[in-house]
Amino acid sequence: MNARRVLRIARWEVGKNTGSIDRRTAAILVGVLVLLAAVAPVLVAANPSPGQGIYRVGVAADDPYYPAVERNPQLRAVEPDAGMVTSGDAELRIEGTRVYVGTSSKAQAALAELRSAVVSYNDYLMRHEPDDAAAFPVSVTLQYLEQDTGTTGGTDTGDGGTGGGAGTTVADGGDGGTSTDGDSGETTPAGSDGGGTDGSTSDGGGGVPALPGGAFGGTQSGTPSSLNPPFPLRSLVLAFAFLLPLNVLIQAYGSSVIDERINRRGEPMLVSPASRGDIVLGKTLPYLVVAAAVTAVIAFAVGGGLPSVLAVLPLAGLFLAATFLGAMLARSYKELTFVTVFVSVPLMAYAFVPAVFTNVHPIAAISPLSIVVQDLEGSRIGVGEFLFATLPVALAAVVCFALGSGVYREEDMFTQRPIPSKVMDALAAPLKNRRRVALWTALFVPFAFIAELFCIAALFVVPESLALPVLLTAIAVVEEAAKSLHVRAGFLRGKFESTRSAALAVGALSGVGFFVGEKLTLITQLVGLPGLELGRAAFGPSVGANPLVVVGFLFAPLLLHTVTASVSALGASRSRRTYLGGFVLAVLLHVGYNLTVVTSLA
Amino acid sequence: MITVEGLEKRYGDVHAVRGVDFAVDRGEVFGLVGPNGAGKTSTLKMLAGLVEPTAGSATVNGYDSQDPEMRRTLGFLPEESPLYEEMTPRSYLRFFADLYDVSRDDANDRIERTLDRLDLDARDRPVGDFSKGMKRKVAIARSLVNDPDVLIYDEPASGLDPLTTNTVVEFTRELAEQGKTVLFSAHDLYHVESVCDRVAIVSDGEIAAQGTLEAIREDYGRIEYRVFTSVPVLDATPRGDRYEVTVDGMDGVERVRDAAADAGGEIVDVRTRESTLEDVFLDVTGRGEA
Amino acid sequence: MRERLVVARRELGSLRSEKTIVLALLIQLFIAAFSSFLVVGLVSLYSPNASQGNYVVSVGVAGNASDDLAPVVDADDKRRAVVYGTESAATRAFTNAEVDALLVATKYPNGRVRVSAYAPEGSFRTTLVVVQLKDALSAYERQQRDHLSSRLTKKPLDLPPESSGSPYYGFTYTILVPLLMFLPAFISGSVVADTLSEELERGTFELLRVTPLSIPEIVDGKAFAMVALAPAQAALWLAFLAYNGVRVDHPVSMLVLVTGMAAVLVGGGAALALRLGERRDTQLVYSFGAIAVFGLASLLPESPQNVVAKLAVGSPTSLTYPTVAAVAVAAIGAYALARRTAAGMT
Repeated sequence: MNARRVLRIARWEVGKNTGSIDRRTAAILVGVLVLLAAVAPVLVAANPSPGQGIYRVGVAADDPYYPAVERNPQLRAVEPDAGMVTSGDAELRIEGTRVYVGTSSKAQAALAELRSAVVSYNDYLMRHEPDDAAAFPVSVTLQYLEQDTGTTGGTDTGDGGTGGGAGTTVADGGDGGTSTDGDSGETTPAGSDGGGTDGSTSDGGGGVPALPGGAFGGTQSGTPSSLNPPFPLRSLVLAFAFLLPLNVLIQAYGSSVIDERINRRGEPMLVSPASRGDIVLGKTLPYLVVAAAVTAVIAFAVGGGLPSVLAVLPLAGLFLAATFLGAMLARSYKELTFVTVFVSVPLMAYAFVPAVFTNVHPIAAISPLSIVVQDLEGSRIGVGEFLFATLPVALAAVVCFALGSGVYREEDMFTQRPIPSKVMDALAAPLKNRRRVALWTALFVPFAFIAELFCIAALFVVPESLALPVLLTAIAVVEEAAKSLHVRAGFLRGKFESTRSAALAVGALSGVGFFVGEKLTLITQLVGLPGLELGRAAFGPSVGANPLVVVGFLFAPLLLHTVTASVSALGASRSRRTYLGGFVLAVLLHVGYNLTVVTSLA
Repeated sequence: MITVEGLEKRYGDVHAVRGVDFAVDRGEVFGLVGPNGAGKTSTLKMLAGLVEPTAGSATVNGYDSQDPEMRRTLGFLPEESPLYEEMTPRSYLRFFADLYDVSRDDANDRIERTLDRLDLDARDRPVGDFSKGMKRKVAIARSLVNDPDVLIYDEPASGLDPLTTNTVVEFTRELAEQGKTVLFSAHDLYHVESVCDRVAIVSDGEIAAQGTLEAIREDYGRIEYRVFTSVPVLDATPRGDRYEVTVDGMDGVERVRDAAADAGGEIVDVRTRESTLEDVFLDVTGRGEA
Repeated sequence: MRERLVVARRELGSLRSEKTIVLALLIQLFIAAFSSFLVVGLVSLYSPNASQGNYVVSVGVAGNASDDLAPVVDADDKRRAVVYGTESAATRAFTNAEVDALLVATKYPNGRVRVSAYAPEGSFRTTLVVVQLKDALSAYERQQRDHLSSRLTKKPLDLPPESSGSPYYGFTYTILVPLLMFLPAFISGSVVADTLSEELERGTFELLRVTPLSIPEIVDGKAFAMVALAPAQAALWLAFLAYNGVRVDHPVSMLVLVTGMAAVLVGGGAALALRLGERRDTQLVYSFGAIAVFGLASLLPESPQNVVAKLAVGSPTSLTYPTVAAVAVAAIGAYALARRTAAGMT
């Protein structure tokens, strides 16, 4: 790769974008943006409620409940009429202090809304009372403290635990608002803060010693109605704030990449001394820079610092990488749009679904946005958990770029082959010899990791008895796919001979590659995910048990992976049907292995 | 300068190039002729390093064709002149000059001279507005921006009007006179005949015939006779007050004489016609009549 | 007319061959499932009824107001009060996880009660616990207000009974259903912008122009295909929802609205593509433009999203149908704009 050439191509890319926005486009775009800028504050001020006026409540204007109904946007006051509830003209009817409720689920939902409307109306009334102590007789200060639920290792019992907790100052005298930031940052007592590499045998969900980020923070004070259970609404807002601009960026990037493929425009550059790497990096660099700049601005705007920017960058990289790969595979603009959306929606989900549980549950650690939340709260962020959140994402981005670059060549760029066929091309392109198979299997491990983490996050609200078998099967499928898809591509594109010995050799190599890559998951030990039952099931037992068992458990996975990969490779070397058969068999073997391990550990 | 040995290319089930051997000497103009789908473009792309051969090897200017270093000394013109439509000729050519590590001064100088020679005026308008001929000129200029020793052109004159075709043809000749080696493909045989030193006829992925034009004509050509008679015979075409028949060889002429005599007429005139390359081409590729 | 249908058919055919429509459906399915998951997750974090199951939160109570407080805590069968004599005993009990939460209530002479509440840190139960604490303390606050009512000028209203309904009702009908109705419209507009700018860039547009069709007719054909696709997908979603037990009222009116929105977005997208010619620019302006359209529409007395919600639950107002009509008018306007832009291209 030639730095000068890369920069020259980057300069050209920037010039292409800025120079070529013609006057007409600029005018229309500016017009639309101005419109948006005018509409936004009006919207914020008007604050329309999504369910405006959907529940009809029959209540007289002089009824004491009338103001409560009026103040709630979802309730719509209508003229009361004796039979209106039974006839279905209204969901509720209020007469004096009696409430008549319909039988439908809609009526029940209206009743719940009415109840909360009355509660907030009461608070409103009380705020206008002169006697404050009588109006708000109860004031609450809520703090979160560690409980000692662990049996072995971890925190010590007794007052040492609460010593640290009581040491936190009580933020008294606040007004009715909640303060979820503020006096956080104090460290919690012994045993927490990333040092939890011991075999925490606590049951799922309870008192995980190694909670990332140390202190919980979030002391609240006020009246009871102002209490809010820990819901990091912030994470969602953050996700949208950081990731929506990225969506616009990847549209432009995807268009630019696919433009090289239209009418063979990119062919002359392929013949020039610029290598594929030069071209891809050169074209991508401006977008990476913009992503970094936008991320930094947003991070600064929401009050974050460098850790936030560094955490979001790999995610932005993965967005770009996936878009690049999509643009290399898509056959038309339509397909590119769909592929782009198809890529960005799960990625956004990956980013913020786990982050919803920040400060509540270690599952949040898998998302880079949790780092941002912690940064905003001022918590200390351990190196281990930072790597855990960002490394798989960064590696996945690199792999996507590598795959896309593999098909950045004349034979693939300008053809109209369907996406599955192109995917096979992309997977087979780097397999110049058998050893490469092992390398690429290892490179796919981050993807498998991400997919598995996503499964865990998605399944963790489901009761364990159901979640566990489903999860084990999902994991098996993901891992077998990571081991065998490119092998199949290699056979399909004639990179290896279709003999039994070749299949066995390639399969064994793939299994070894996966085993080696998988050991990277040792990083999970640093973050305490083994404390989570599902996490342990997914990522294997933690070190620290019987040495004989350890050795056995070290080599058992190696055996598993080589065997299953060989099985699917044997199938892959022949036809699609045999491949599917081999794949299913490999999955079954894998699930069997997983079940044995999990039950023998329990 | 260019050597090709046993070059093959397979695209899945399609065997586009089935083993091709030829060589081009320094300063030579070599033409690859063949019908559409014969494998010319694939061959040229393998030589330019765009596509990996399935088998065989090729060297260009001493480098292996797949060697990235080779591309510095190569000027390539793909079919249909794809360009970046929003750029002007000057910015486009300067961009490529930078990619080829040409110094700014050399680049500007060369660009202006080439565009002068090719008679292209609108140098600061976006290329997207250009006619086909103008786009082709820009593409040709791009192929020369690095002052290459070897030029590989894929159908450089295809789809152009006669005037522009002429310009391109003349230009190719000039390049050769400057000592550059030119390999190009065409199915416009006029271009080939007027410019090439040697020619290879490609058909169905193989070379059916190669050599100098004379040699090919000799080996594969025939002498045809245009016989003019006073009465219609065989499948004669009326030409004024005579009738014309084209036949091979002297025995053909004798047949016409006999036929004319039978019809009560006689041979009025006989003219010879040498096979054109087109005839050879049609023959050799089996597209003509036997 | 027939030729327009030919163009329309080709559009639909190409969508089918590229199987991209499958992707579109999958995306919408994913978005719907994901937002539902999010809401189920969120609601379960908040609502005491939703996912607590049979779990009973044990609350340690201490302090001089504990006699008052404990019965209020006990009143609901989802929680249980454990009274401690001293604060340190209670604290120890909390630290040792004998109780899930701790309330230390101190009553002052002026009648006010200060409560220090402690919930477990970093546990999934935390949210459940806090919800129950909030519930208990709110009930306690009401009880105390009642005791002190002589000092109040206005009496707070009695609360209506608790509802037994599903906490997801509101989300389902006010957010999920409108989302599923409008996504197809948005996607349709985006696709039309794509196909037109692609044809313009690849130069295949010219091939269509050479046919007896005029450009406006070509655009008609493409637009027709994409506009028709939106209510079709929306209807599919309605059927899917009905199968899952979510029934909507007035489906026909909703589909009319969807068609109107789709026409607005498709007309706008087509006009943009024809005007700007380049795909990248078109998509950029379209994305912002669609947001602006939805933003503007939200300023109406009844926004389209609200209209869908009201139609779905069956409480249309006098404004509802006129709003649908207004969208239809806007659709005609957008169509006219697209046609005029197309005509201006010949």
